[in-house]
Amino acid sequence: MKTFVCIKYVPDTSEAEVKVNPDGTSVDSSRFSFDINDADNYAVEESVLIKEAHGGSVTIVSIGPKESEVMIRMALAKGADNAVRVEDSRIAAYDPLMVARTLAGVIKGQEFDLVLTGCMASDDGQMATGVALAELLGVSHAAMVKKLEILDGKVKAHRELEGGLMEVVELSLPAVITIQTGINEPRYAPIRGIREAQKKELKVVNLDDLGIAADQVDVSASKIVLEKLYIPEVVSKAEIIEGEPDEKAEKLASILVKGGLV
Amino acid sequence: MWGMMMSTENQTFAEKLDLFGCIQCGRCTGGCPVTVRTNLNVRRFVYDAKNEEMLEELSKLAEIWDCTACHTCAVRCPKGLKPLEVLFGLRTLVVESGKTQPTVRDALESVFREGNPWEKPRATRYDWMEGLEVKIADPEQPVENLFFVCCTIAYDPRVQIVAKNLVKILNQAGVDYGFIGENESCCGSEVFALGEEGLFEMTVEDNTEFLNEFQARQLVTLSPHCFTTFRTRYPDLNKPVLHYTQLLDQLLQEGKISWNQDLPKKIVFHDPCYLGKQSLVFDEPRRLLKSIQGVELLEFDRSRERSLCCEGGGGKMWVESESKAQRLAETRIKDAKEMGAEIVAVACPFCVLTLEDAMKALGYEEEMRVAEITELLGELLA
Amino acid sequence: MGNVFVLAEHRQGALRDITLEMLALAPGLAKDFGGEVEVLLLGSGVDALAEKLSGYGVKVLVVDDPLLADYNSDKYQKVLSALIDQRKPSLVMVGHTAQGVDMAPALAVEKDLPFVADVIDLKLEEGVLKATRQLYSGKVNATIAFKPADTYLVTVREAAFEAPDPSAAGSIEKIDSPLKEDLDYRKFVEYIEAEVGDVDITQSEVLVAIGRGLREDKNLPIIEELANTIKADLCGSRAAVDAGWLPHDRQVGTSGKSVKPKLYIALGISGAFQHVAGIKGAKTVVAVNKDPEAPIFAHADYAIVDDLLKIVPKLTEKLKELKG
Repeated sequence: MKTFVCIKYVPDTSEAEVKVNPDGTSVDSSRFSFDINDADNYAVEESVLIKEAHGGSVTIVSIGPKESEVMIRMALAKGADNAVRVEDSRIAAYDPLMVARTLAGVIKGQEFDLVLTGCMASDDGQMATGVALAELLGVSHAAMVKKLEILDGKVKAHRELEGGLMEVVELSLPAVITIQTGINEPRYAPIRGIREAQKKELKVVNLDDLGIAADQVDVSASKIVLEKLYIPEVVSKAEIIEGEPDEKAEKLASILVKGGLV
Repeated sequence: MWGMMMSTENQTFAEKLDLFGCIQCGRCTGGCPVTVRTNLNVRRFVYDAKNEEMLEELSKLAEIWDCTACHTCAVRCPKGLKPLEVLFGLRTLVVESGKTQPTVRDALESVFREGNPWEKPRATRYDWMEGLEVKIADPEQPVENLFFVCCTIAYDPRVQIVAKNLVKILNQAGVDYGFIGENESCCGSEVFALGEEGLFEMTVEDNTEFLNEFQARQLVTLSPHCFTTFRTRYPDLNKPVLHYTQLLDQLLQEGKISWNQDLPKKIVFHDPCYLGKQSLVFDEPRRLLKSIQGVELLEFDRSRERSLCCEGGGGKMWVESESKAQRLAETRIKDAKEMGAEIVAVACPFCVLTLEDAMKALGYEEEMRVAEITELLGELLA
Repeated sequence: MGNVFVLAEHRQGALRDITLEMLALAPGLAKDFGGEVEVLLLGSGVDALAEKLSGYGVKVLVVDDPLLADYNSDKYQKVLSALIDQRKPSLVMVGHTAQGVDMAPALAVEKDLPFVADVIDLKLEEGVLKATRQLYSGKVNATIAFKPADTYLVTVREAAFEAPDPSAAGSIEKIDSPLKEDLDYRKFVEYIEAEVGDVDITQSEVLVAIGRGLREDKNLPIIEELANTIKADLCGSRAAVDAGWLPHDRQVGTSGKSVKPKLYIALGISGAFQHVAGIKGAKTVVAVNKDPEAPIFAHADYAIVDDLLKIVPKLTEKLKELKG
């Protein structure tokens, strides 16, 4: 199995206050910690498990800044063989189709059996890059895969649908699979392993190196425009439900039902 | 694979830990506080680990994660061995194979990326200072006391009060001090206990280089875990290390600090393992408490070197025991209640968390409290 | 031109809510585009669903083909692609669901359509189509404008719109299936129902969490009844696990598991730092605690300051009533 794994370096904003920069189209990330996107971490683990079981190789592909090399080295330490990091400010990163086109530019022309990505990035949550990438590469795909069985020349993918129902599909290879969290338990990359992985190849390229014309993936190529980012108004964080105990319980019940939460 | 690093250079696992010096007297297991809760038999591990071929099998036993790193076994060993480090060595085999518990994995990755085990951004490490007048040390300027705030105190809102009150005390006493700022990184105490040797080595190297740059006369730590780790595992650190209770005790003797109010309470001091057994600081915290008017200081039956561990160390904040038996912290709180203590005073962030949890679990919130010494002192400053 | 396609989503014989939710948004947009709503229903033997959909005052285009008996993203893509060519809609709306996200981005690439995923609002402003979507788990909203095109494509977030009530009778039009043969590169195999019994709380959509505030295990049944009523899984703080109320694998926090449910109901949990670290991924947090100073409230979206034992029975009763 020759596998490519596409991973993204994302900020953890779960507890942090997010502020929009004066340009109106980016956020201030100076107080965030960054790490591999959660679902991508599972994709890396799945690729290494496949390599351990079936042999072959794993290539990490990522579009991101120099700082993201920590994340790439960790993936290499876990068992990936080499990596390509694309750094180019011309890519319209807000548009998953432009990101997919760039990733396709890295992979196209090389032999592969599988491309794995996380099914969703925790920052922009589009769930689009992997499936778009499959179309660009002209191969079959399955999204939100929670179990993957490698068969002869094909794979059985268990797609997680709403409510925990699994849709099992059989795909011919090569294929793009977007991985859902929980498919495995990502391993730890010990520091000695990360140091060891310094020897593995990590190629840094830009669009020119890849032979991708900038006007194929930049804001002019994108069919959408990121107009502005803004903080949605929230009516104080916690809504305190007041009243006698029974009233409070009743109010909460109707909030949960009306809000579609239960 | 990097996985099975059984020995360093030419030393075997047993040689490195001097296991052949063991006479199997059993004092280690005899004193081990967690044996009442789990199957851990540290003497057995010391014996079996001499056999290199058994290491992998031993590393799979769940009880290697039960050790709280209290060091009772090391204190009791007549041959001066550290039996607990056999368990850490076995943990290393697990961690370096990559197949560690997710909670441990996340804590270690967080130390590697963000310099703290709590999965918090480095950039928010000093958010606790907001609204306080805190002096930040400048590496170029000499300073008497360089303060090192532990990760737990820096990020956990329950124990941030330790740092905040200390700042107030230092400001009032006119002490020459400086805090490090957001570049401060985890001391590695729990990293060591969790067996991540590579990360610990890197932590020691980076911290030594970083801390040595400061022109400070001494390094003052807030947590006994950082204190003992710097003292015993940082051979190249170029300045002496103190626990804050030692500094405050000194200031007290010099008449630089005093308390404006009385505290007519019965207080029992719980010796943190990392402060007491491991660093032999017993009297300073007691003198601080006794300096408060009205305090009646009680003593646990098991105190000083024999203090009962709260189970907060040894990486246990990230590894839960399967045991259903009563937590040691609960035993401790019950003992305190029985002797009529109104306050259980401690000088360690982990002890605060575990003992307070135990106190709540027992439903004693109304009649007693668990407090870090700085919490009490801060309230008396007014 | 001017019409708005809404792709009906159905599974195992039933329409999924997202289909009707999109009908809350589609008519206004169709009007602005100067066309009408056409609901695309793809399947085999779907007359009853077509009937139901037409009751919302829309035209239902039915592609009834044995090849569409089981959902298959690639077949859907082929049908949609052909229908876009034939009927040139201005807008195609697909649910941002496990079905939709497996198909829409590929369709966008194939047909070179301007595409925005997971929209929570969509408006035509002075001839420019603008979408609102969320980033950073809802902490930031983005306004995205589509560059002018003949056909736009969006996926629409579930539960972002309230499904309308049935209105006037619409119409049903059967169209020939553009599918010629089965696909060899992607085959539907089967559905596997979620196993009951061994619960993995990291995957739960709704969690009821208990803490020390439960006081004793004889109070557990009222919690279990609440959980059953809203199909939630039970989990808890370290204290609840210590007390033996829950097995260890139900513990949430730094020494337990990190969960990411849509709804997390924390009952009698004070919210120690080590516990709340495990609920960072929860979308909506409800906290019930008698201590108004409990740190859990800082992480809650809805808060009740009271004893959980006074709240939970009534809450369950009312939920049963409201859910019929």
